[in-house]
Parts: sequence; C-alpha cells; structure tokens
Amino acid sequence: MRLVASGTRDSLSGLDDNARFRSVVMPHIDDAYRLAHWLTGNGTDAEDVVQDASLRAFRAIREFAGGSARSWLLSIVRNTAYSWLRKNRPTAVITVEDLEAVELEHAKPSDPNSETPEAALIAKVDAEQLQAAIAALPTPFRETLVLRDIEGLDYREIAEATEVPIGTVMSRLARARRRLIATIGKEP
Amino acid sequence: MTRSRPDDNSVLLVHAYLDGELDPANALGIEQQMSTEPALAAESARVKALQRLIHERLAHEEAPPGLRARIEASVGGLRRSPTQPSWRALAASIALTAMVASGSTWVMVGSEPTNMVADSLVSGHIRALMAPEAVDVLSSDRHTVKPWFNGRIPTSPRVVDLDKQNFPLVGGRIDVVGQTPVSTLVYRRAKHLISLTAMPAESHFELSRTPRTVNGYNVVHWVENGVSYWAISDVAHKDLEEFAQLFRTSPTECTADGAAPCQ
Repeated sequence: MRLVASGTRDSLSGLDDNARFRSVVMPHIDDAYRLAHWLTGNGTDAEDVVQDASLRAFRAIREFAGGSARSWLLSIVRNTAYSWLRKNRPTAVITVEDLEAVELEHAKPSDPNSETPEAALIAKVDAEQLQAAIAALPTPFRETLVLRDIEGLDYREIAEATEVPIGTVMSRLARARRRLIATIGKEP
Repeated sequence: MTRSRPDDNSVLLVHAYLDGELDPANALGIEQQMSTEPALAAESARVKALQRLIHERLAHEEAPPGLRARIEASVGGLRRSPTQPSWRALAASIALTAMVASGSTWVMVGSEPTNMVADSLVSGHIRALMAPEAVDVLSSDRHTVKPWFNGRIPTSPRVVDLDKQNFPLVGGRIDVVGQTPVSTLVYRRAKHLISLTAMPAESHFELSRTPRTVNGYNVVHWVENGVSYWAISDVAHKDLEEFAQLFRTSPTECTADGAAPCQ
C-alpha cells in the first residue's frame, strides 16, 4: 500500500491541527508501532517511542506538505527511536564509527564465502528463526530491510527517512538480505 | 575456483529490479543478464524466496489496544467530543450552506464536510487493510453477508454478486462515520481490496462535490435510490469506476420467498 501526493494537500487545507493529525498520523499507528518494535526490540519501548513520535508529529503537523503521510510519520518514528535509545539504552546505540566499521566489514556483497542456500531451503524457515535473524542485523541494515520488506516504502522514501543517498539504501538493502539469507540458510 | 562472480553492481540491480525500482531500459538489461548468468538468477530466486518468507511468516503486527487512545489523550482534544456532528448533520449543513450561499462560495464551503466523510471512510479502509482481516464477516456468499448486517445497523445494504466480472465479494464490516455506524462491503480486484460503503443519502447536494482521491486512495461516489455509495480502493480510478458501474447495473438480489423479486 502506497500513499501518493495527489489529493493529500487538497483534503488537508482548511483542517485544524487536530483534524490534520487525525487524517495524517492516526491511520498509520500500526506501521509506526511495527517500525518502533523492530528498532527498539520490544513492545513496551515501542509504545513509548510511538507515543513520543506522535507528539512530535503533532507539533510538526503544519510542516507535512503532502506526499506520503506514512513515510513522513515513519521517519519521525525512526528519529524518535534513536534518541529514545540513546537516552535509555546508551550501550545499544551504534555510533558513527561503529557504523563505518559495520559498513566496511560487510562491504563485499558478493563475498564468495558467504552462504548461498537454495531458495527452496529459505521457504522452510519458521517465523522465530526469521525474526531472530532480522533482530540480529546491524541497525542500519535492519532499518533499511524493515522499511522496504515489511513497511513497503520505496527506495526514495527510505533514502529520505534514513537520510542517506539512494545508492547507500541499495547497498544496505542487498547486504541486509544477503546476511539474512546466509543466517537462516545455516539453520538445519 | 575461478568461476566468474557477478559484479556488485549487477547484484544491486537484481534487488532493485525485484523491488520494481528500475526503469524499463535497466529492467530489460538486468533481465537479459539474469538469463545468461546463473549466479544472478539464483540471487533473484533467493531474494524472492526471502520476500515471500517475510510476507508469510511475519504477522502484520498491530499496535496494542489502547495505544491509539493514549496517543489521542496525550495530544489532547483529539477525542471526538459528544457534540461532534454526525454525517447526517454535516449533510444537512451542506444543504443549508448551499441554500444561503452563492454557487461559487458553496463549492468552497461545501467541499470540506463532504471530504470529511470521504476522509473518514478512507481511514476506515486503511485500518481494515492493516487489520488481520479487512472484514468482520468473511464470506464470498452474498446470502451470508447481507443478513450479517441485520441487527447491527438499521438497514441492510444491497449486495450483488460480481464474481464473474472479476470483483469477488470478500465480506463486510461496520465502519463509523461521525458517530453513525454504516455498512461496508469489501470486494476484491486481483490483490486489491475495494471498500464499498452505503449510507442513507440525506441531500442530493452531496453528489455535487466529492474528491477523486483522498490520501492517494481513489474514491468514487454516487447516490441511487436514496442511498449514498462510496467506493474506496487503491485500484486504478478507471477500474473503480468500472466496479461502480457494474454494481449499479447488476440486478438486485432476489430472495427465495419472493419478498424481493428478481429483476
């Protein structure tokens, strides 16, 4: 499901902030919660993050200038999740240096040593294994994969939400998927 | 050992191709490359399998109950007050506005409340898409769906069978506009759902100004026999109009006891 620009601006003009909030933010609370859950790793924290993010969205509601309301909200949720983690779980937050190390470590998407299981094997993986494998991905890979394969954002929206160029989105996504495939392919 | 490996760039293009992000020229290029390089074809098969796995295994998790209410409470003033006008009152106010205002003024004033009905129904449609089931009664049999509404809302909606025209019935649910429960039928076109809401039409003015899209969802609205119909979906506007046309022209259902004769 993708929201496009046409119509949004027209249907918002003349609404007060509360009405805007209801039509821009409230329809996407499930998506917001899902993303927060993947980024924080647990439901209680996710609820706090979504509530926080909703307040931020409400204060910034006049800045929403049309386009996809969902991807606008998700980028607020993402930023809120990271500041929440920095404050409440400082050890869990990845610093820029860590991030660079991670990027370097996985800089070769076509590493010949990486596992390349058959597609048929992938289809047999159960939900728990899959969930654990996604949770184990380094944060920048995990958020890119979640935004694309779970939330259904397109590359441009992901680039805007994660504040990186589209090329980076592409390489992170490919690496995230390859790591995931290698991890779940290893299980018996 | 020396088996050639696809270059990184081609790998990224395979992923982008599967995500529908490539323009036709690049898509064609990578399709040809995949047909000649087994490693790329295998990559494509694995990624497809992974995407299917994610889609099938990871339940569409919903926000816990109560979170929406807490958000509304914390933002403040969001909860609809008891004095919030129902859509009936809205429709009446449009009619009144239309009578006292000049034509051109009316378009401006009148369009907004009509959009609020559409906004509300589009929100209902979006929520339904995210719920585990988009319907409260799941059945492709109109003789199951129609009676389900009895006792839940004052009037039972008109239900027609459009299976042969490739719009199979999925089921029905109750949506709320303002504070009024209304019936919504859910039909399907390929993978897309169409929500069709029926409510008593209060004023012929409501036909005059309706949005074609709300938040990217296509909207088709018509009034027939005193009933106001709203069809909402992400299918192309053309398809939604075709659906509306088929719904309007299909014969009314008939009951076995002859209470509603076949047409």
